[in-house]
Amino acid sequence: MDWFIANASFIGGLAATHLSISVGPIIVGALLAILLARVIPRRFVNPTRTVLGAIYAIPSLALFVALPALIGTSYIGPTNVVIALTLYVITSMYFSARDAFGQVPLATMTTSRALGMNSRQLFVHVELPLAVPGLIAGLRVASASTISIATIGAVVGVRDLGYLFLDGFQRKIPEEIISGIVAVCVIALALDAGLWLIGRLMTPWRNARVNRV
Amino acid sequence: MCDFGELGAWLCAEGTWTGQYGLGNLLVEHLLLSVVALLVAALIAIPLGIYIGHTGRGSFLVIGLGSLSRAIPTMGLLFALVLLLGVQFRELSVVLALALIALPPLIAGAYSGVTTIAPGIRDSATAQGMTTWQLVRHVELPLASPSLIGGFRIAFIQVVSTVVLAPLVGLGGLGFGIIQGLALRNFVQVTVSAVVIIVITIAGEQLIGLGQRRAEARLVAPKRLEKP
Repeated sequence: MDWFIANASFIGGLAATHLSISVGPIIVGALLAILLARVIPRRFVNPTRTVLGAIYAIPSLALFVALPALIGTSYIGPTNVVIALTLYVITSMYFSARDAFGQVPLATMTTSRALGMNSRQLFVHVELPLAVPGLIAGLRVASASTISIATIGAVVGVRDLGYLFLDGFQRKIPEEIISGIVAVCVIALALDAGLWLIGRLMTPWRNARVNRV
Repeated sequence: MCDFGELGAWLCAEGTWTGQYGLGNLLVEHLLLSVVALLVAALIAIPLGIYIGHTGRGSFLVIGLGSLSRAIPTMGLLFALVLLLGVQFRELSVVLALALIALPPLIAGAYSGVTTIAPGIRDSATAQGMTTWQLVRHVELPLASPSLIGGFRIAFIQVVSTVVLAPLVGLGGLGFGIIQGLALRNFVQVTVSAVVIIVITIAGEQLIGLGQRRAEARLVAPKRLEKP
């Protein structure tokens, strides 16, 4: 605890870097996953599952350092980490996005069509709102693991909260490592709570009291 | 072949394939650490998950553990355990950390496999006079197997992605090529090591996925039985 208080501003700086490299991938990855879930036709579902499952399995450090050979980025620095985190968010959220849209009742869709909605209106006013609970659930899983995986970026020179692990181990300060673990968990849980709240606010009909006749 | 630039030179260099830090040795250490940790974790987690699913006792624990475990950075857990248990026991602490990382997904897989069994199936097994042990062995375990293997797949992914970090605490494993290569700015070594890790991991993941699909296929009723 003393170590944490004495180094609070240092940890704060690392946490800011940590957030700055993870929030972008969470947002962009989620949007791309939703896009993929919408545009990939049904017959390509199984091949997509295999490819995304394989990408998801790649150890993060290996992916960070394999990217430069593929796309010519620098080995050290945040670019590879940001790209890899985005890939992980896409792979983990694609399946939940697909399920979320799949669970929209067919009767609701056909009714909306019969009311004269076009495809765009159907998507914006019916499918998307009804898929929100499933999408938020998938996003919560993806954001927690992204915050946790981002620590490994420290190995390739990103000064985020993972730096506390490397530095704490080298200088033999267990408090530093534990402070890092706690900080990562706090950020992940805060994001999780925020996403839960957003989900509640976006689906007001789910918490409304039903007046039974 | 040794003339093909940096890659050829590295592939032909002494110590790339053999010796303490040769690829052969590192591969063995990589697999050994992962497999031992997964086995230790499975021996604890699978009976525990089935017990919780069967009795319903402590299910809040599974749900809480599941969401917390995603947020805990595995690298921090690994480093903290090695430092706290002492660097002279680093093999033990690394295996312990990896097993701890594998526990939550394994428990969750076994637990949800058992709890999602239709109550009618369990009731009819009891009605036929099955003992608790027979129910677990012949009904719950087979029906839970796809979900159980699914949990094992997540555990495998988590363990392998952490074992790559073992060189940072002074052990070997295939991550050694990445860590050493980054320090020495030998990027050929870094890339080759990353490719080897990626190929081995994907092969393992696909193998587990195959096992899961076979377990699922076994549970589907044969077609000729569907229509009398």
